[in-house]
Amino acid sequence: MRIDRTRWVTTGVAAVATVVLTACSGGGTATNPEPEGPVTIEVWGWNAETGRQIAEAFNAAQGEVKVTYVLQASNTATQTNFQNAFAAGSGVPCLVQGFGPLTTMVVNGWAQDITKAVKPSESLYSKGALAAAQVNGSYYGVPSGSDGQFLIYNTATFKKAGLEVPTTWEEFVETGKALKKQGVDIANLAGEDPSTLMNLAQQAGAEWFAIDGDRWVVNFLDEGTLKAARIMQELADNDLVSNQTYQDKPALYTYFDSGNMASTTTQWWSLGGYQTNMKKSAGDWAATAIPQFEGAAQPVTPGRTQPAFVPVGCENPEAVMTYVDWLASKEGIEAGRNKETGAVGFPTQIPDPSAYVADVVPDGFFADEAQAAKVIVDAQAHVIGKFELGPDYDAWFPELQDQWGKAVAGEQTFEEALRAVQKFVAADLDGKGISYTLGS
Amino acid sequence: MPTTTSAGPGAGRAMGKGAAGSPRTPRLRRRRTVQALKGASLTFPFLVGFALFVMVPVVMALRESVFATRSTGGLGFGGQTVTFVGLDNFAKGFQDPVFWGGMLRVLVYALVAVPLTQLLSLACALLLDAARRRTAARFRVVLLLPYMVPGIIATLIWLFQYSPAVGPLSDLFRIFGLELNFYSGDLVWVSIGNMALWGALGFNMLILNGALQSVPHEIFEAARLDGAGELRIAVSIKVPFVRGSLVLTSLLSIIGTLQLFNEPLLFRAVTPETITKDFTPAMMIYNQAFQVGDLNYATALSVILAVVVGVASAVIYRSTSRGQA
Repeated sequence: MRIDRTRWVTTGVAAVATVVLTACSGGGTATNPEPEGPVTIEVWGWNAETGRQIAEAFNAAQGEVKVTYVLQASNTATQTNFQNAFAAGSGVPCLVQGFGPLTTMVVNGWAQDITKAVKPSESLYSKGALAAAQVNGSYYGVPSGSDGQFLIYNTATFKKAGLEVPTTWEEFVETGKALKKQGVDIANLAGEDPSTLMNLAQQAGAEWFAIDGDRWVVNFLDEGTLKAARIMQELADNDLVSNQTYQDKPALYTYFDSGNMASTTTQWWSLGGYQTNMKKSAGDWAATAIPQFEGAAQPVTPGRTQPAFVPVGCENPEAVMTYVDWLASKEGIEAGRNKETGAVGFPTQIPDPSAYVADVVPDGFFADEAQAAKVIVDAQAHVIGKFELGPDYDAWFPELQDQWGKAVAGEQTFEEALRAVQKFVAADLDGKGISYTLGS
Repeated sequence: MPTTTSAGPGAGRAMGKGAAGSPRTPRLRRRRTVQALKGASLTFPFLVGFALFVMVPVVMALRESVFATRSTGGLGFGGQTVTFVGLDNFAKGFQDPVFWGGMLRVLVYALVAVPLTQLLSLACALLLDAARRRTAARFRVVLLLPYMVPGIIATLIWLFQYSPAVGPLSDLFRIFGLELNFYSGDLVWVSIGNMALWGALGFNMLILNGALQSVPHEIFEAARLDGAGELRIAVSIKVPFVRGSLVLTSLLSIIGTLQLFNEPLLFRAVTPETITKDFTPAMMIYNQAFQVGDLNYATALSVILAVVVGVASAVIYRSTSRGQA
């Protein structure tokens, strides 16, 4: 669930943000490497906290590649400026922080295939990070870590209710029913945010978009998705969850802090917000692995990301990878340490980020900080990373929000909502002239 | 202003052919032309701005609206082609039930919100007019303050005011035994309407108050001598005098209402089951342009919306002008 991401990013999520942010000077700015000097690459991103300091550290650490970090005002500003530069054909950078799903970048003709440049570095990254950087089996993005989901729960609330923390989603529903008898919601499902459904679908093995030759296979009603929808339906039908909006943060935190909500799925960058805003319940919380679906072959953690990409026109993808690989090194991660907070960003792109987890576990929030740290690292180890969102994500996601909102409000079932989204996707792809078949 | 002849334009024409060849006539014409050009040149800065920021975008929009952008097929990775489709986007727009549903929604909303805003603005303007000059000046500034707040900021402020958990309004109404959730779908129109009213009241009041200042005070004195009370003076003298300004503020309100965007966009987060992505015509245009990515269709819808706003304004202006005559 997404709480205070901006805050975390601004408080120094060095590595993740920077991997996504870094780059080379491409197109107009990329120059052929001079034998005697370093290759200069331009990187666009919105990491105001540590973007420049990381680039400076990189430039000081080696002499082959020189990075110029161009700070953008925001995600939206990056997109706007990039589109303008790309359309103008000049000033196109060599690495751009991902401002949308990777497939969208490919469909728009913005991202280039950098498979050759990434292949030699594969061993530096986690499986999830490598999966997230691919479209149709080729690398169009740089390896980028997904933030693995885990569950945090209020130990005082569970103790009072005399209940165990659920380990499967099916148990989650049953525990929710027991908690409801005591007037406690087991979780919160914001009416505007369908990410919980997407996470559960991803975890259940759903594949909303797949590629079959030169056609997309669209299926919002596959077994995995319906499994996730059934859990959502049970939670909604039995009134086991609240529907607090993320828009009203003070109210949201007040509610989370009240003890009337037993648990929430979350990720590492939300923890700082909890620590700052949930003073009353601080120390009562514990972390545990996200529930699995009954009968799951192996534990998996949902998590997605929007990888940085090398724009078409950049002539130096190898130089970009030199920089990106350095960001995954000990020296690169350390370069992202925020000078004000002293925190280092959690390097979710590397296979084992355990050495850095202490920096993201907030003081005084968890009853057992060592155990919470272990959960966070385990979540990263099992993160899926890839969940293909197809060629028209920007078009269908608002439709999913609409349909999700109606389902959460009880105006329709979650299956009906998904059916409507699939219908919308089909019409949109027809309009765009993109080939597809419906999976069901 | 110097002049070479005492004859006016009519006199010049009366000279007719008999005056042809007179050295004074061409000179006069030339001078008048120069004078007219000088006068017109004062409008050039406006015309340049108008052309650049209004006419050029309109022409560009019209151009965009007759094309369609489609993928070259397959997975959509192979680029896009732009083809001329004539009026297809307009035909699609005229038959789009979602777009016209949004239009109907804002029209119904306008039927309630616009008269209410006008009535309250007029009432405030009349009250200010009745108050002492110094008192009125203070209130005028206070009432205008909301208008100075950007719409998106105003919406954020009100979202917190309305918050059922931490906002003050729910507690206030609870004192009177009313359990109100301003975030709920049932009350969302009231919540949006109240915000719009809060934002527009000051501006409308200022226009109307300005118009009231120009009413000759002798009329009020005559009415008082005839025994009219303040209420009677307000209803029978002041209101008819500001009718023109009321038409203006009503038109502006209607135009603003048909383009409703900021408020529902932010309220979408709190009641997504009610406020969908295409809730108002402006929201649908935004969604088509920047999320679906169909700029061609979005511009066609923008043109249709502009025509609807223009027609609605013309109808209201004509009907109210006729009433005035």
